[in-house]
Amino acid sequence: MSPAGEAQPFTFEDLPVRDDRDAAWRLIRARGPIVQLEPDVALTDHALVEAAFRNPAVFSSRKAFDSLGSPLPLVPIAFDPPEHARYRHILQPFFSPRSIRPLEPELRRQLAELIAPLPARGECDFVADVASVFPVQAFLTFFGLPMEMRDQFVAWKDAILALSDPSGVISGEEADLRHAGELFTYLSELVAARRGVPGPDVLSELLCLDGDDALTDAEVIGLCFLFVLAGLDTVTDALGFGMERLARHPDRRQEIVDDPALVPAAVEELLRLDPPAPFVPRITTAETELGGRTLPAGTRVTAYIAAVNRDEARYPDPYGVDFHRGDNPHASFGVGVHRCLGSHLARLEMRLVYEEWHRLIPHYDIAPGFSPTVKFPRGTVGLEALPLVLTPGAPR
Amino acid sequence: MRVAIDRDLCVGHGLCYMLAPDVFHDDDEGYGQVTADSPVAPDRVEGARRAAGSCPERAIILSADPTGG
Repeated sequence: MSPAGEAQPFTFEDLPVRDDRDAAWRLIRARGPIVQLEPDVALTDHALVEAAFRNPAVFSSRKAFDSLGSPLPLVPIAFDPPEHARYRHILQPFFSPRSIRPLEPELRRQLAELIAPLPARGECDFVADVASVFPVQAFLTFFGLPMEMRDQFVAWKDAILALSDPSGVISGEEADLRHAGELFTYLSELVAARRGVPGPDVLSELLCLDGDDALTDAEVIGLCFLFVLAGLDTVTDALGFGMERLARHPDRRQEIVDDPALVPAAVEELLRLDPPAPFVPRITTAETELGGRTLPAGTRVTAYIAAVNRDEARYPDPYGVDFHRGDNPHASFGVGVHRCLGSHLARLEMRLVYEEWHRLIPHYDIAPGFSPTVKFPRGTVGLEALPLVLTPGAPR
Repeated sequence: MRVAIDRDLCVGHGLCYMLAPDVFHDDDEGYGQVTADSPVAPDRVEGARRAAGSCPERAIILSADPTGG
């Protein structure tokens, strides 16, 4: 399949994501818009990703996520149109900005409570102390679950992520299977208890839907599983990457300290540079043409989102951090009908973290001698840890 | 200038009403809707352009107003 003259084929695992992700994306972009990158065909160009992802009949999400082997229907990612459209129509009002916005004061209060004790310690691991905890709290708040379940959910989440890593590495560890079973049991009992009982939280509302919009227990449990699978670590990872960039670019950081109104633009720019789900797969259902290549049926085609987001033609100085980019049409929440359902909640979480953190802790550095490394190879990527030293300075 | 959203392409990223809230608003499902009068008032044109340039789906259509707006 490789045209003559193309460099030696290389593999996903060869990308230096672990130590230098910018170098990894530079490397893959240099190979062109459509690249054989075992075991997939990699897309690094926005127009090609659009062409593929807007054609879900040929580039199937369902087939790509079948391989996770979930016993539950992973609503809605593991579906193609037309079933997918039904799920999105039912779910989108619950995940829309107007549904999410009322959570803001409570989530901001929770964050201030998490961050306020840190300056007295003089140091922290941003990933362990903030980034991995807050998205779980946001999930519990959103679904109306008790905050005491937080640490339990962290353990369950880690277990099911280990079981269903989208890169295809199945651990099958007994403890992970046991944890996944516990989460399933917990959600099953919860769904049974809330079915038909009105309540202000999303779960209760979903379970009160009737008529054509009614969802089965399996569908609701599948949605909850997908939320745990896709909505917790991704925010953790985006936040860890974002804070690493801010720590390494004190001038950019000072901009948001001085002008918190820049935070929404900072959220977009940091997401552009570091999408936590940089490999979005599809599988072809029939032979098709893309980017001048013939792809047989059954080809795994993966959008390399971080590479797509570094297109020199769209972004001047694409590897630089710039909170004043006029246009920033990054693809970090996906392109096409499978656009991240939780994007509005994720954006709110990230904005609140950057706002509250910089209000309370404007001065910080990566701990001397520490080099952050990325968990890789994996389907989703994030920092293992981000130890920070917190230097005194007047909070606003 | 006139502005419209291609309903076949919009998937509800929400950047348009985030970047240019005086030109676009959200509906119950989070899809963007055009609020502004057509043609777009001169002081809102810049916002409309930014929204169009930042839409990941390229779903926002800007067109010259034939009456010169």
